[in-house]
Amino acid sequence: MSDHDKIYSTKLQDKIERSTVLLFIFVAVAVAVAGIVEIVPLFYLDTTMTHLSPNVKASQKSAGDTAPIVWDRKAGQTLDDWKPGDGVRPYKPLELAGRSIYIREGCYLCHSQMIRPFRDEKDRYGHYSVSSESMYDHPFQWGSKRTGPDLARVGGKYSDEWQRRHLGHPRDVVPESVMPNFFWLDNAKVDAGNVADTMKVMRKMPFYPAPYTDADIASAKAEVDGKTEMDAVIAYLQGLGNHIKFTEGVNYRD
Amino acid sequence: MSEKHDEVSGATTTGHVWDEDLADFTNQPPRWWMLGLAASAIWVVVYWLYYPSVPLPAANSYFKGVGNWSAIREMEADTGEVDAVRGKYENKLKDLTPAAILADNDLTEYVKRSGKVLFGDNCAGCHGTNGVGVKSKKDGLFAPVLNDDDWLYGGKISDIHTTITGGRQGMMVAHHDTLSEQQIDDVAKYVIALSEGRGDSEAAGKAVFMSSDCVGCHGADAKGMQAMGSANLTDKIWRFDGSLEGVKRTIAYGVNSGDPKARIAIMPNFKEAGKLSESDIKKLAVYVYKFGGGQAETPPAAVPAETAAPAKAAK
Amino acid sequence: METSPAIPVKYDMEVVRWFTIMAVVYLVVGTLIGVYVASELAWPFLNFDLSYITFGRLRPLHTNAVIFAFGGCTLMSTGYYIVQRTGATKLWSNGLAWFTFWGWNLIIILAVITLPLGITQGKEYAELEWPIDIMIAIVWLAFGFNHIMTVSIRKTSHIYVSNWFTMSMIVMITYLHVVNSMAIPVSLTQSFSIYSGVQDAMIQWWWGHNAVGFYLTAGFLGIMYYFVPKQANRPVFSYRLSVLHFWSLTFGYVWLGAHHLQYTALPDWTGSLGAAISLAMIIPSWGGAMNGMMTLSGAWDRLRTDYILRFLVVSLAFYAMSTFEGPVMSIKTVNALSHYTDWTIGHVHSGALGWVAMVSMGAIYHMVKKLWKTEMYSDSLVNVHFWLATIGAVVYVVAMWVSGIMQGLMWRDYDEYGALTYTFVESVSAMHPYYAMRAIGGIIYNLGAWIMLYNVVMTVRQASASRSASPVPANA
Ligand code: HEC
Ligand code: HEC
Ligand code: HEC
Ligand code: HEM
Ligand code: HEM
Ligand SMILES: [Ca+2]
Ligand SMILES: [Ca+2]
Ligand SMILES: [Cu+2]
Repeated sequence: MSDHDKIYSTKLQDKIERSTVLLFIFVAVAVAVAGIVEIVPLFYLDTTMTHLSPNVKASQKSAGDTAPIVWDRKAGQTLDDWKPGDGVRPYKPLELAGRSIYIREGCYLCHSQMIRPFRDEKDRYGHYSVSSESMYDHPFQWGSKRTGPDLARVGGKYSDEWQRRHLGHPRDVVPESVMPNFFWLDNAKVDAGNVADTMKVMRKMPFYPAPYTDADIASAKAEVDGKTEMDAVIAYLQGLGNHIKFTEGVNYRD
Repeated sequence: MSEKHDEVSGATTTGHVWDEDLADFTNQPPRWWMLGLAASAIWVVVYWLYYPSVPLPAANSYFKGVGNWSAIREMEADTGEVDAVRGKYENKLKDLTPAAILADNDLTEYVKRSGKVLFGDNCAGCHGTNGVGVKSKKDGLFAPVLNDDDWLYGGKISDIHTTITGGRQGMMVAHHDTLSEQQIDDVAKYVIALSEGRGDSEAAGKAVFMSSDCVGCHGADAKGMQAMGSANLTDKIWRFDGSLEGVKRTIAYGVNSGDPKARIAIMPNFKEAGKLSESDIKKLAVYVYKFGGGQAETPPAAVPAETAAPAKAAK
Repeated sequence: METSPAIPVKYDMEVVRWFTIMAVVYLVVGTLIGVYVASELAWPFLNFDLSYITFGRLRPLHTNAVIFAFGGCTLMSTGYYIVQRTGATKLWSNGLAWFTFWGWNLIIILAVITLPLGITQGKEYAELEWPIDIMIAIVWLAFGFNHIMTVSIRKTSHIYVSNWFTMSMIVMITYLHVVNSMAIPVSLTQSFSIYSGVQDAMIQWWWGHNAVGFYLTAGFLGIMYYFVPKQANRPVFSYRLSVLHFWSLTFGYVWLGAHHLQYTALPDWTGSLGAAISLAMIIPSWGGAMNGMMTLSGAWDRLRTDYILRFLVVSLAFYAMSTFEGPVMSIKTVNALSHYTDWTIGHVHSGALGWVAMVSMGAIYHMVKKLWKTEMYSDSLVNVHFWLATIGAVVYVVAMWVSGIMQGLMWRDYDEYGALTYTFVESVSAMHPYYAMRAIGGIIYNLGAWIMLYNVVMTVRQASASRSASPVPANA
């Protein structure tokens, strides 16, 4: 194995194969390229986000659609002043608590929250999802498997009471269901301190921080006090999907 | 030491040896593979040019691709296909009342077909597959059975249409403050006796019923009033739980009364929530009507849905 | 401990032995949990109303157990084994290797405790909470550093191809883990990703895909490149193919993540960028599969008697198949159907059961014989295991293909009136027989794992018995 071996690839390749450092460097560079090209632009291209995209704005304009995509909160307004259709808003305290439980119980492993722009998904679930709808979702809850139906627009589809019964004992309500029983969520109370802390963390996020005011955080404790984990999950589910008022004919994706 | 020849195949190795006997042959990769690699590179470029694939940071945008493809455009084309099929029905449907739809066989078939999944995905959770109801051991029936001929709010197609459009929330006040435990027990027994056709055997309960607010909602004959959705108490059909305990609970805590133990009966408002289109609601009204329990409309067709006569007891 | 006539070296193999044994233990555990979660979908009463074992909490335990516990121990045992033998040197640091052994197992124990408690970051395959993430980073870097340093002190002039793949895995997994795990803690047991929505989705699947591409593929290709030629006793078919497919795979795979997000709210351009290269990736992948298969040519006759070789051949077949399937699933029109369905699960397990686990089994059997300098306790049990694994994998994968495609077709089916044909729950109840069939396939597969554990334990006991009986120290 002398240095005078015949080279069956290229000189460079042969050099790399002899040098740990070179191999390391070439590999480290080769695997870095894709992330830079594919991911980094998502952070700054305006077309990525529905509410920033010039294309969407143009499409809205030509359709005479003035419905906001992100809630424009006026000074002094509380989260409860928001109404469906006012645009994407950060989660209310009880919803945020419910969302943490949704993550804890692994609901996202059976339920997607991402309606694709297909005719059948439109007929079944409603308007396709858009990027700005999940801008306050740290982490995203799009899911990758539909063992159960998509939940992106489940808010308001059922009554709270139905949700309570279904979550508690899904097969009482839907005999074919394979979803686990979650009645025990009624046995635990929401941790109010944790909710306030979560809101503070969401406000600190480097990307798309939730614009909570100090007053929002201060009132969180009172809002979730005495509520069960079941109440929280239901509040979360009932708030899904009705933030934006979509107008027929507007292209919200490009 | 340089390349070696392999005893089995006669091929040469590169001459490098690791761990006593690991070596590699100097064989060329298969020809198909090399061609495949080149083809792949070309493929990637073609794909990138055809589809939107390239971010353009300087332009704050991306290259749209020469294929004029976007997910939304693809959806529009696909939706166009089904819309073309539905179009001839939907156009007719638009101007007809549910009752008039029912008079048209072809339209009825269309509605039956599209109603299946509309009902199955939106309503069956509460009303059960095909409207048979959803019952749990603990809480009884969740929402009214829709495939019988007992109706809280009326079984004419216009009633059903109104129900789905606006939702329903029947209200019955709680009675645990106004009636004593004994009275509640008595009146519950009376109500059960009524449903078994022997109302007069429970005189004490009947007295409570007649003297308290029950008649205000359920009527002196206890047959209910569809204008407010109060239940008919003289039939064997129980909206909630028909056991003595169950009936007592309904009376003591009421329905949607605000009492924490009240029974809850909320039919969502599908129109306002934007969950279903006008046309979908119409289809559902016909679909539910066709479960078999629907009642005839007088006069039958051509009444615009909005001005349909308010529900009148018609049982 | 081991000697080679040319270069006398004493290898550090004790740590390899322990990683190997733990890999087999975790194979049993991980597939057992897989069987349980599969059964929960077929017979939901098995959730037993116990929060700790509901599907949503147990499923991440399954994925973590098979990927990080089983896969990780396999990668580290073979990594340390191969890097020493191909470099004719002992480990750069045996102590650091032991640190990785205890550290990695501690992480696994923490996963087993925290995941059933619902302590999770909610990102697939990255569920473990931030303190464990930090431990993972430390142990992973220790493994990577030790491996790379051992490469650098090798006695051979060239770095063996297995170690190229392991190097790419070490570097890429470090990038991925660090970037994807960025989170702000609320408490010791709860944190939230600093990214949200679209950006988080893309970063998650950049991680998710490359956990597959570099950890479950590049890492295991490294295993393949050592154990296939060793077990077949033949040189690698083509050096040039190794070079070309290594670089094309290393450079190309990283782009693929976006194929998990086609048609979602991720911009069209990103999805297409990923899909284009995904389709092209069939060639680099098949380069690896071919190089392995052709290495075996000339040794085909040995398949009749060499059961270990059978594992390796079948794993390559599954590898070729799942890397054909993956690119097909990246085609827009196919992904529109397959995404969200059990077809994806079928694809995952044709790669996982067929490729990752089978190549590991072949490698582990080979190593056990070498590490304990003995024959297997029972060759016929190896053969039984081979058949159980093959049949179990085929039953599982076929059930999910058929049902996954059925599911996708049911969701989108329209009748001649332009009305959706099936309700969602009809698709749920149609899955039932297939979920049951999958559970049975899993049981068969898991049975094979138990047999492997038994066989390996008996082999080790037999070896230690004969060693203590012999007057001469066995490790010359
Ligand atoms: C094992 C998989 C599984 C898990 C885990 C699971 N679900 Fe489900 N879910 C289903 C299935 C299957 C259905 C459809 C049948 C039904 O309605 O029960 C469903 C239906 C639903 C529905 C009704 C949706 C609709 O539009 O009809 C909601 C809401 C829901 N689940 C919420 C949740 C929440 C919240 C969690 C976590 C606490 C959860 N699910 C966990 C499988 C699951
Ligand atoms: C969240 C549960 C829920 C859902 C979803 C739901 N319903 Fe209802 N529905 C109810 C309840 C509860 C009532 C009884 C309301 C009352 O008692 O005031 C009711 C009443 C009705 C009635 C009146 C029955 C009568 O006896 O007069 C009709 C008709 C009806 N629903 C049809 C539908 C249709 C069609 C859908 C789907 C588009 C639907 N429902 C979805 C809960 C629901
Ligand atoms: C404010 C109006 C109101 C008053 C007063 C009222 N009810 Fe009712 N009651 C209703 C309505 C509305 C329903 C149906 C609720 C539903 O299904 O949504 C109902 C339902 C019932 C039911 C359940 C029937 C079934 O099928 O399960 C019983 C029993 C009943 N009422 C008994 C009584 C008695 C006894 C009294 C007097 C003590 C009384 N109600 C007073 C409005 C009233
Ligand atoms: C007996 C063997 C196994 C059985 C029965 C089994 C069963 C399952 C089940 C039921 C799921 C959940 C699917 C769903 O949500 O619908 C799953 C997911 C998964 N399993 Fe397995 N599994 C087995 C072995 C393995 C092995 C050996 C590996 C890896 C080496 C593996 C990797 C995975 C992965 C990565 C997922 C997540 C898939 C996704 O999110 O798309 N499994 N498995
Ligand atoms: C060239 C090779 C491959 C390509 C192009 C590819 C492509 C894909 C695609 C398109 C999906 C579905 C994404 C979705 O719709 O959500 C997928 C999922 C998956 N693949 Fe592959 N695949 C390849 C090889 C493999 C191999 C060898 C494995 C082995 C273990 C594997 C493991 C997985 C896993 C675990 C998932 C599920 C991810 C999830 O949780 O959703 N893939 N792959
Ligand atoms: Ca998944
Ligand atoms: Ca993590
Ligand atoms: Cu992938």
